[in-house]
Amino acid sequence: MVEWRQLKPLEWCKYVNKKVKVTAQEKHQYDGWVFTVDPVSASIVLVTVQEKGGTATVRVVTGHAVLEVEVLQEGSEETACWLRDVFTPPGGRILSP
Amino acid sequence: SPRFLALCPTSISSSTGSGSDPVQMGEEQCARSALREGFLRALVAMTNKPVQFDMYERVKVHATFGSSDIDVLNFQVSDLHTPIGVQKEALLRCQDVILYSFDL
Repeated sequence: MVEWRQLKPLEWCKYVNKKVKVTAQEKHQYDGWVFTVDPVSASIVLVTVQEKGGTATVRVVTGHAVLEVEVLQEGSEETACWLRDVFTPPGGRILSP
Repeated sequence: SPRFLALCPTSISSSTGSGSDPVQMGEEQCARSALREGFLRALVAMTNKPVQFDMYERVKVHATFGSSDIDVLNFQVSDLHTPIGVQKEALLRCQDVILYSFDL
């Protein structure tokens, strides 16, 4: 795999809203749903929920520590909406262009 | 910024060059801005929350997240709980961090 930090934004986009397993330095492994990848630092924002209706845990793996990213499960439109809602402040709304 | 280029020279990648397709460049820029917006929203959600930082050598520290600089090179945190005591205010170098996590 090409080094994670060298990927282009469109390639990072392919991982968004999917469930992935991230292998990081020092043999750490993390899984979760990808909310976004910071195009500056290549950090991956992962969201996990312990049980339905429970609080969401956000984990950010810093880009320089990422060794490998493996897709475990494809996302759906429902997943995309859920992830968007997690980070949208109450009362916020999307304005059309 | 020059500081970012000096410290992390290769982390911003883009399809540059005279042969680049302008349509593809536009798509790439759209993708970059959408990804960055999401990341900034995540940072906003993290502000003033207790955050755990997993660093190298299996060191784990807790702190209240304050802010990050634009290049994501340093984090400003408060009440940093370290093995040798609590530091009221601190800057963490992001290059020393593998993972940071918090609950929403």
